[in-house]
Amino acid sequence: MSPPIKKVLFYLILAALWEGMFQLLPGKVPSPINVLRSLVEGITERGYLWGVGVSLRRIVLGFGVSIVVGIFLGILLAWSRTLEETMGSAIVSLQALPSICWLPLSLLWFGISEEAILFVVVIGSLLSITMATMTGIKRVPPILTSAARTMGARGLGLHLPVTLPAALPSVVEGMKQGWSFAWRSLMAGELLFVTQGIGHYLGMSRDLGDMNQVVAVMLLIVAIGLIVDLLVFATLEQKIRERWGLQKG
Amino acid sequence: MDALAPVLSLKDVSKSFASKQGMVDALEDINLDVAPREVVCVLGPSGGGKSTLLNLMAGLDQPTEGEVRCNGVRVTEPGPDRVVIFQELALFPWLNVLGNVEFGLRMKGVSKDERRRRALEALELVHLEKFKDSFIHQLSGGMKQRVAFARALVIDPAILLLDEPFGALDPETKDRLLAEIQEIWEKTHKTIVFVTHNVREAVTLGDRVVLLTARPGRIKRDYRVELPRPRKIDDPGVIELADIILGDLRGNGQNGHGEAGDVTAD
Repeated sequence: MSPPIKKVLFYLILAALWEGMFQLLPGKVPSPINVLRSLVEGITERGYLWGVGVSLRRIVLGFGVSIVVGIFLGILLAWSRTLEETMGSAIVSLQALPSICWLPLSLLWFGISEEAILFVVVIGSLLSITMATMTGIKRVPPILTSAARTMGARGLGLHLPVTLPAALPSVVEGMKQGWSFAWRSLMAGELLFVTQGIGHYLGMSRDLGDMNQVVAVMLLIVAIGLIVDLLVFATLEQKIRERWGLQKG
Repeated sequence: MDALAPVLSLKDVSKSFASKQGMVDALEDINLDVAPREVVCVLGPSGGGKSTLLNLMAGLDQPTEGEVRCNGVRVTEPGPDRVVIFQELALFPWLNVLGNVEFGLRMKGVSKDERRRRALEALELVHLEKFKDSFIHQLSGGMKQRVAFARALVIDPAILLLDEPFGALDPETKDRLLAEIQEIWEKTHKTIVFVTHNVREAVTLGDRVVLLTARPGRIKRDYRVELPRPRKIDDPGVIELADIILGDLRGNGQNGHGEAGDVTAD
């Protein structure tokens, strides 16, 4: 059996089990059909897509800031041993703090505003990108920079065309990880405090006591996370693998 | 300047490293002049300071004592007048073949059109013009080796430094490459220094074979190779001289191999 067929079968069985659960525990489990109906209604009548748009705008802004600042910080850390030993270890400790824990502080700073949620998204993804950039740069084979230097590369002329592209696979890996952190932070933030956005619809559905809507929004959040991962990061990684001639996997 | 002034000149060069066992002398009292258009091969066992010597010539490392001069100027840092082709080749996987070959010219600030023209010329020299758009990983070992040559030659360095250029190649590819390097040399008459632990490679390519002892690396003898070119690795003359050199190397050791280390003839 080919893998796609296996997958289709798996999801069909899963849907059947789900339906079975609904029959057994009608008050606790929503029916898949109703969830699907709710999802369609949500999109056509309750403005889910608008919520998705708001969330995507937030993540593009926040994640964009993370990429720029994270790569910059990563370069600094790779460049200075002192910075790595001091700031680097501080960053590792900060990673122990789930980024949503920054939300209360962020709300005190910025109020219930776009800035507050953006801050949480940035904090969520920044550290992954910073660390990945730093390790990527430090793991560039010295032979590549030596070769470039004997061909006349100096200073920025060495780092822009050699060090950075050589570190790129690691940076992209960090971005992929950062993206999933950013998406989680955003959803948590929208669910907890901040108005609008698709995470907010999740909270609203709970307030309405509508389990169908709750599960419908959950599915939507999974779908968006997956689609971005596939469209952006899987494509990017595939391109890099092709170029670098790396094995799949 | 005298017409025969050396392109590269090493005077009383020594190099020691700090290691866990204390200071290690890698090279001692190296005096070596490389004349224009000369192909000099430094032969010695692995770990015997050959690569250190090449790094000093390239300016990637500094001698503990003595000095290295290139065209009379003291070498203190790497520069495009002394391009190195590393054993690992160190081609850039994010650039295609043409991009790799253009790299040195880009660093020099050569204009885009000029860069492309000269890179294509260099690729033609190594018979790879058809592969200009390929990625590095799509090429065979021998083709990668030729890209590395084109990438170095296009800069037109005063001297080309090769670190074990045939290390990882199968015998057939090696034979072809030996022929190609000689062909390239006939066309460009580049001054070349290359290091190897293989006597026959050294004799096949070199105008001179400089024999380096194991640690500390000292120049034991300097052979002049007068055999007609192009040479093949299994020419009787090459084999004969290689055997003489190998004999000299083994003759003075404490045991059967002495300073020969892993110096081989095949």
